Amino acid sequence: MPAAPPYLRARVPRNEDARLLTGRALFVDDVQLPGMLHVAFVRSEHAHGRITSIDASAARLRPGVHAVYTAADLGDYLKPGPILVSPPPIPNLVFHGCTQLPLAKDKVRHVGEPIAMIVADSRYVAEDAIRDVVVEIAPIDAVVDLEKGLAADAPLIHEHLTSNLAAHVIQRKGNYASAKAKADIIVKRRFHYDRGVSAAIENRAVVVDWNPKSEEMTIWDTTQAPIPIRNGLAAMLGLLESQVNVIAPFVGGGFGPKIMMFYPEELLLPWAAMRLNRPLKWTEDRQENFYATTQERGQVHDAEMALTKDGRILGVHDVFLFDTGAYDPYGLTIPINSQCTLIGPYDIPDYESEFTAVFTNKTIVTPVRGAGRQHGVFVSERLLDLAARELGIDRVEIRKRNLIGPDKFPVNHEIMFQDSAPLIYDSGDYLPTLEQAAEIIGYEQFIREEQPRLRAEGRHVGVGVACYVEGTGIGPYEGARVTIEPSGKVRCATGVGTQGQGHFTVFAQLVADVLGVNVVDVKVVTGDTREFHWGTGTFASRGAVVAGSACHAAASNVREKVLNLASVLLNVPPDRLELSGGRVFDTDDPQRGMSLGELSGKANPLRGAVRPGTEPGLESTAYFGPDRGSTASGVHAIIVEVDPETATVEIKRYLVVHDCGTIINPMLVEGQIHGGVAHGIGNAFYEKLVYDEQGQLLNASFMDYLLPTATDVPMIETAHRETPSPYNVVGLKGVGEAGCIPTGAVFAQAVEDALAGSGVEITEIPLSPNRLFELIEAARK
Amino acid sequence: MILSGTFTFEGPRARVWDILQDPDVLAKALPGTKTLTKVGDDRYQGVMKVSVGPMSAAEFNITVELKDKVEPEKFSMVIDGKGGVGFTKGTATIVLDEQPGPITVMTYTSDVQIGGKIAAVGQRLLESVGKMMTKQALEALNRELKARLGSG
Repeated sequence: MPAAPPYLRARVPRNEDARLLTGRALFVDDVQLPGMLHVAFVRSEHAHGRITSIDASAARLRPGVHAVYTAADLGDYLKPGPILVSPPPIPNLVFHGCTQLPLAKDKVRHVGEPIAMIVADSRYVAEDAIRDVVVEIAPIDAVVDLEKGLAADAPLIHEHLTSNLAAHVIQRKGNYASAKAKADIIVKRRFHYDRGVSAAIENRAVVVDWNPKSEEMTIWDTTQAPIPIRNGLAAMLGLLESQVNVIAPFVGGGFGPKIMMFYPEELLLPWAAMRLNRPLKWTEDRQENFYATTQERGQVHDAEMALTKDGRILGVHDVFLFDTGAYDPYGLTIPINSQCTLIGPYDIPDYESEFTAVFTNKTIVTPVRGAGRQHGVFVSERLLDLAARELGIDRVEIRKRNLIGPDKFPVNHEIMFQDSAPLIYDSGDYLPTLEQAAEIIGYEQFIREEQPRLRAEGRHVGVGVACYVEGTGIGPYEGARVTIEPSGKVRCATGVGTQGQGHFTVFAQLVADVLGVNVVDVKVVTGDTREFHWGTGTFASRGAVVAGSACHAAASNVREKVLNLASVLLNVPPDRLELSGGRVFDTDDPQRGMSLGELSGKANPLRGAVRPGTEPGLESTAYFGPDRGSTASGVHAIIVEVDPETATVEIKRYLVVHDCGTIINPMLVEGQIHGGVAHGIGNAFYEKLVYDEQGQLLNASFMDYLLPTATDVPMIETAHRETPSPYNVVGLKGVGEAGCIPTGAVFAQAVEDALAGSGVEITEIPLSPNRLFELIEAARK
Repeated sequence: MILSGTFTFEGPRARVWDILQDPDVLAKALPGTKTLTKVGDDRYQGVMKVSVGPMSAAEFNITVELKDKVEPEKFSMVIDGKGGVGFTKGTATIVLDEQPGPITVMTYTSDVQIGGKIAAVGQRLLESVGKMMTKQALEALNRELKARLGSG
């Protein structure tokens, strides 16, 4: 059923789905060009070692091979990649930025690091030629464990540094020592969170077409940031930005690793295409993805919470280690998110958080959906659970006692967020969200009746309720250009890339409401730098907030133009005009009016004059740049049953009550939440990258690395709340990461509750049936 | 990966020792060995094919160097293997103890590091494949020993 205006808050079917579901959407690997050659990479099999020799002569002689490049062949192009995100201005911050060469020269620092690039007639020939390249590597002991990596005798990953410390940051609010002195109890634990992959369905891919006659380059790239990629590559290749066009077409999942920019493959294909004058394609295979696409989540926290005996939080102290992998191009976004997100919806007067980032001989770490927020939530939620148990206070009740009240906003937490702006919560209404979640999941009734009844039957059921606050929609800015065409259709071009979020629908909804047109008549274009070349990218749950607000602003400007021109042509004051049904008309006499298409033609006349102070056409470009992000929030609740014999966990119910400000499309918000929860369930109970002590990844395939499947992900219940953001006109907040942020915390809480009395305490994520079995066994002894 | 164990050869220690130093015998006994040649004093080179789970017939160029030889009691091997799907590096120590019969009890311990694709994809199966290959090899060597003893 087609949706009717107004489209805001309506369940508008997705404009892009017909193309996606019928296989007519372009993905990078669909791009086939005449004369295209294929690329494969020789990658390090060692996690840490010195390259003593590379002999590519046999590979170069293989029939069908056009070129083999090693670091020695790159000349001036062999430079470490840029630091993508500078650390925020935090006093006494230490940061050692070490980035990767496009091809390893003297040293390899993780398994899978590229050493040579092969260009051949087909991927088959290129893969065969990988085995012709003889690379001699003298292994060095690998740094895998974070604490051992900081030991004085640890092997140095970056030899110009004096240790494997990548960064050290302390952030403070108030004075934790005084909070501790006043406290009735201190709850203190060590928490572990381990690594996983993002596991997008589509791996990374790059196709480059260099036209030596027009001296123009077109790059199809699975990036989340096509505009910065274009600008960066143009600079590195010595081209004008306008000579390079980057297209991020449909992308099968981003989840963060595709916002990492200037991956070696992304840098090398354009360079080689200019030398070979042939189009080039590289598509990452799944095995490469496990090594060569960035990963996340290794942290170890030593945290304590100081409370009064009636359960009020006085302060939190947290010291943690953060695994940044072999290089740190993405700066400190993740650990700073962990620091900031730990506070959650709670009034924590005194907070001190200190982290040390550690280089390890593992794949580079950059944000993956949640981007460190999980860790903060896990630590504070688990500490609250432990405090509740120790104080004999109900778990929901202890949370209620500590929530920030609705009258306190904006709340300044006095520490720096990842966007280099102070962490300020714009708006929120936390208590009703928690109450609604507890009510829908039937918390009271479950605890009082159902759980005791099932326990009496010998069944181990548990409930969990966890809160979170999520910084979303950060700057710097995005832009959009909205054009009413003579056909009456509206074109809306924006710079952010799209990876399945529904941008073709939500941006269209915002524009359609402003211009009074049918939502299916708004054609959204994203991720093509020829169409729009100002912007940053899709990350930090910011697409709808920042690019959406820009679309809204551009559409509002076009609306002004429509009103002004129609006012002249119809001789009606602008305030008597209305836009609806694709027309502009006189509200006193609705028959008097014209279609927007006709008006667009009149705005671009073939004769006459475009008057000074006006512009031809019905078009406008606008930008939106918030000073700081908007703060989404929510509560997850879960009911599980644990089989203590097999340590399997069945999720009986999963509920998300979410507040992402004004909702553009509830169906898409639910879709984001469903996907996020599935991601979070994988993170909580299935997915874990296992490295051996020499840095070899032992489960680099979907045979051994488990993803949750349809049978593991329950039906997810959702409820929406709306506390609009004051930072943008529509009141938007982000939602892309919300589903996976408190999942580990709520899962751990419920499993522990199901096993209450057994002594099992969960201080780590991911769990697995195997690990849970070990914990149950250990508690028995 | 650490593989260790004991195996009893039905024959005297000196004859077991001889077999263990004979590349032609080893080439036949070690599963998947295509070639094994002596290339110097106590140095051998060869090509082995190994199948681990989804990796079928992965070829490795291997170099084995014998060290710390105390004939006929014990020796160590330094193993270095390289192939299209990964590498292996490690050491093994073999101790032979003659007991009445005469029989020879071999005690072996090996610590082998495995890397690359074969570690990433075959990890679950590496240990069982390693144990199976060791068992097959030792049984084949024992058969060769008995054949030699039987023929004089």
